[in-house]
Amino acid sequence: MKLNTMAAVMSFIANMEDESSAFYRRWAGTFPELESSFSDWAMENKIFMKRIKRTYFGVITDAIESTFSFSRLETSEFVFDTRLPEGAGLQSVMDKAAEIEEKIRDFYRHASHLSDGLLADIPQLFKRIAQKRDERLQILKKDT
Amino acid sequence: MEIKKLQNYIDGEWIDSLTKDFVEIRNPARDTLLCLAPMSVQSEVGAAVRAAQKSFADWKNTPPVSRARYLLRLIALLEDNFDELSVVQTKEHGKTIDESRGETRRGIEMVEVAAGIPSLMQGTNLEDVASGMDECLINEPMGVFGGIAPFNFPFMVPLWFIPFAIACGNTFVLKPSPRTPMSQVELFRLMDEAGIPPGVVNLVHGGAETADALIEHPLIQGITFVGSTPVAKQIYRKCGDLGKRVIAQAGAKNFVVVMPDAEVDQTLVSLITSFFGNTGQRCLAGANLLVVGDDSFYRTFVDRFVEMAAGIKVGDGLDESVQMGPLQNVESKKRVLAFIAKGINEGAELILDGRKLNLVGDVAETCFLNPSVFENVTPDMTLAKEEIFGPVASIIKAKDLSESIDMINACPYGNAASIFTNTGKWARRFQHEVVAGNIGINVGIAAPMAFFPFGGRKDSFFGVLHGQGRDVIRFFTEPKILITRWF
Repeated sequence: MKLNTMAAVMSFIANMEDESSAFYRRWAGTFPELESSFSDWAMENKIFMKRIKRTYFGVITDAIESTFSFSRLETSEFVFDTRLPEGAGLQSVMDKAAEIEEKIRDFYRHASHLSDGLLADIPQLFKRIAQKRDERLQILKKDT
Repeated sequence: MEIKKLQNYIDGEWIDSLTKDFVEIRNPARDTLLCLAPMSVQSEVGAAVRAAQKSFADWKNTPPVSRARYLLRLIALLEDNFDELSVVQTKEHGKTIDESRGETRRGIEMVEVAAGIPSLMQGTNLEDVASGMDECLINEPMGVFGGIAPFNFPFMVPLWFIPFAIACGNTFVLKPSPRTPMSQVELFRLMDEAGIPPGVVNLVHGGAETADALIEHPLIQGITFVGSTPVAKQIYRKCGDLGKRVIAQAGAKNFVVVMPDAEVDQTLVSLITSFFGNTGQRCLAGANLLVVGDDSFYRTFVDRFVEMAAGIKVGDGLDESVQMGPLQNVESKKRVLAFIAKGINEGAELILDGRKLNLVGDVAETCFLNPSVFENVTPDMTLAKEEIFGPVASIIKAKDLSESIDMINACPYGNAASIFTNTGKWARRFQHEVVAGNIGINVGIAAPMAFFPFGGRKDSFFGVLHGQGRDVIRFFTEPKILITRWF
């Protein structure tokens, strides 16, 4: 699906962050090895969302002009599935987490690139969050 | 279920209007009835003005820092209700939810700037203007001001004036647009919740007669108006006759010049928002697109502009995928259709016909038009001269920058003009020679921020001091000179 407006981009991000948070909360309780980092990440996702919303509402007048820059944003490339079979092992959960983080990182990178030069604060924030997701990805890959 | 009737807010109370005359407020995207707005009678205007005059005595003596605290509380409430306020704007006006959020943000910025009143309102002084004598200038509030608001930015425009007026120690009576009054009802609810004392702000719904009663009331010190040029002229004249201050911000016909060295991708994005944002119902909207360059550049640029305009998703503004909403009402649509017909009759070429509807979702067609683009428009055509206030772009091929500037300056309006170029020399010349109140360089909508004044030139503005910024502080205060000597 193509996103046409900044509001649609915001809703897509909210859904993406909510789904990944739910994934982390679900599996944090299953594996003691993951509890600390997964709980932190679920919490951090909420903070990311709050920051994005605050930034969006803060620069919305610029965002209106920039909204057309997202018209090339095809979301199908960034959709992920958080489902795992019941009784999935630690390695499967970590692999799935890495898959999710990679998709989210790539989304933020792409969205940042598309809006660069038109929006003041949003691309910068997207870049910072992409960096954070990349750090998570490195942790997940190192531990596997 | 009974349809809700809006009430007036007078002396801190929500009161049913005495009138039997109500107008329907409809959601233009769905053609559903939202509420009924009263056409208040003259005595209700009188009651509001008297309440405002009564509260002026205490309010002007409330320290500016305390008055600012009411505004700081209001800002917190506006932020808490940000999305709800934006949804109301979309429902009553039709604009997209992003556009409404943008309007809410711009409105809040006005209150933020007005909250700096302890600094903004300061006077000046000079010791020893003569030996042993000191002179001081004090800015004093004046009394009750009236505001008459337009339909196109129902939330933001009243905030160009109300927070500044009351921060200065004046009191205010607002008449919102009878087409889009709901946003102001929400704003006044929040001002009430912020604890602004009774009578300091008052809201009286109504039409032209209500506006006349407000302007003519002897206790009214001055009027702020935003709307069409013919009405702005009348109000300016009437206020002059009555010896009242006036800010009358009027119509527009804004030119956007694209030079052959413009950054095409970013220019197009900016132009699409300028011409079709808010469905073209904006006094800063682009209307005439002047493309300078050889035939090849002209053709490529125009084709891409048309392609983007044709791709705009049109529908209910509450649908997040929608990029342009309906016209605000049926009359607006009829008006735009008449301009399109006139353009065709006068020989312009309609290369994108917005009358062929292509709408997203389950909407009523009543108020909708898709974007229209005319080519081969000449400066003498109605399309190029008159304010359309709808999603119609008129493209004029210009020989060079000089011809573009001449065309802009020949236009009776002077609200805004923009140029898209990478050449500083061209931009600087444009900035110096174009007669308009707001100039954009690589900016399609040259909207001043809350801390700068906003006003046009020529037939786009009537008055001396503008809305927003330091101008509006001067508008809402009267200087008093104090000269002291002690023996």
